[in-house]
Amino acid sequence: MNGIHDLGGMHGHGPINPPPTEPVFSHEWERRIFALFIGAFGGGHYNVDEFRHAIERMDPAEYLLGSYYEHWLHSIETLLLEKGVVTRDELDQKIAALKGGH
Amino acid sequence: MSHDHDHTDPPEDIELRVKALESVLADKGLIDTSALDELIDLYETKIGPRNGAKVVAKAWTDPDYRQRLLSDGTAAIKELGFSGVQGEDMVVVENTPDVHNMIVCTLCSCYPWPTLGLPPAWFKSAPYRSRVVIDPRGVLKEFGISLSAEKEVRVWDSSAELRYLVLPERPAGTDGWQEDQLVELVTRDSMIGVGFPKSAPDNHQQAGA
Amino acid sequence: MPVVTKDIVPLLVQTGASARVAEDIPARFVPGDTVLAKNVNPANHTRLPRYVRGKVGTIMMDHGVFVTPDTAAHGLGEHPQHVYCVRFTAAELWGGDASSKDTVNIDLWDDYLQPA
Repeated sequence: MNGIHDLGGMHGHGPINPPPTEPVFSHEWERRIFALFIGAFGGGHYNVDEFRHAIERMDPAEYLLGSYYEHWLHSIETLLLEKGVVTRDELDQKIAALKGGH
Repeated sequence: MSHDHDHTDPPEDIELRVKALESVLADKGLIDTSALDELIDLYETKIGPRNGAKVVAKAWTDPDYRQRLLSDGTAAIKELGFSGVQGEDMVVVENTPDVHNMIVCTLCSCYPWPTLGLPPAWFKSAPYRSRVVIDPRGVLKEFGISLSAEKEVRVWDSSAELRYLVLPERPAGTDGWQEDQLVELVTRDSMIGVGFPKSAPDNHQQAGA
Repeated sequence: MPVVTKDIVPLLVQTGASARVAEDIPARFVPGDTVLAKNVNPANHTRLPRYVRGKVGTIMMDHGVFVTPDTAAHGLGEHPQHVYCVRFTAAELWGGDASSKDTVNIDLWDDYLQPA
């Protein structure tokens, strides 16, 4: 698809500004979603092509604003919902429970 | 297919979404959270650019190994014990006085995990992915590198299922150095093609040699 | 479905999941061939970026036979085919202002290419 992910040759995305060093993960949730990707992939819930395509189907503005691991979260949620592995209600109920537990 | 989910979630909601997803999958018995802990530990503390540096240093000191590395990267890298996820099929490209190689994945952020670990954020970013193919020399300038116009810049867009590693040129003044000394000179960026290995004298002083 | 347990993590990570397919499929191109990256605009998943579509390049390597993402992303099977490394000059991709020395090398599936 002619999506926002197909970036090669575009102008205007600004400087790269590579920092001298950076941690492997910047937040705890990045660790969890990274590992969840391999765990759910190894469990046979999606293949890597489905995974990439679910990222490509993101809203373009959200894609550009979101970090790499936000893309991963989006993709895994999308695929597990589409395949019926989890339901929206199950996720929403769990989020509510986690909020209540604070 | 889209979901009427809030697309403007603040970061704290991302944290909740991840927790909820992991928790629901664990409740269903579809993931083992201790396996996730193990995966995080592997990629945070064990699998990183030190692996690739060992490959490069061996290629610098062992001409037969260098040949094997350039003709069948996957097998030669596996000789040193590095293989697997996102390095299943490897190609190694060699810098020479005439050619400078650079790696990118314009379509996502494919990167050779077994030899370099997980990619830095800039490698996955729109600025790097958009520009490397159209303005590689401009990108190199941002990394502090200016190449002669006579040198060929070869960009490798690794957007299929082959993963690429740059074999940088061995620094001058390292004749007679052992493999384990040379490993210390190999930087992550030099194996992506946006940097060079450290130069010899500095390292000698650091190492107290 | 199998659950990834802690004890299989090291083996899983070291083994990975290669997209290479052990099928004896004849190659349509050999290194040195001149090829055209098709000008197509599929709405589905593809790994043929826009910047090479309609451009002429040279086959540098035949990587062997791989799963095709365009079908595998949509539950339409592996459709194994050759993947080649194709070299495009910067001038071909970006026009006359580009460095005459520089090239972009990209791995493309057989279906993305036609003889030029």
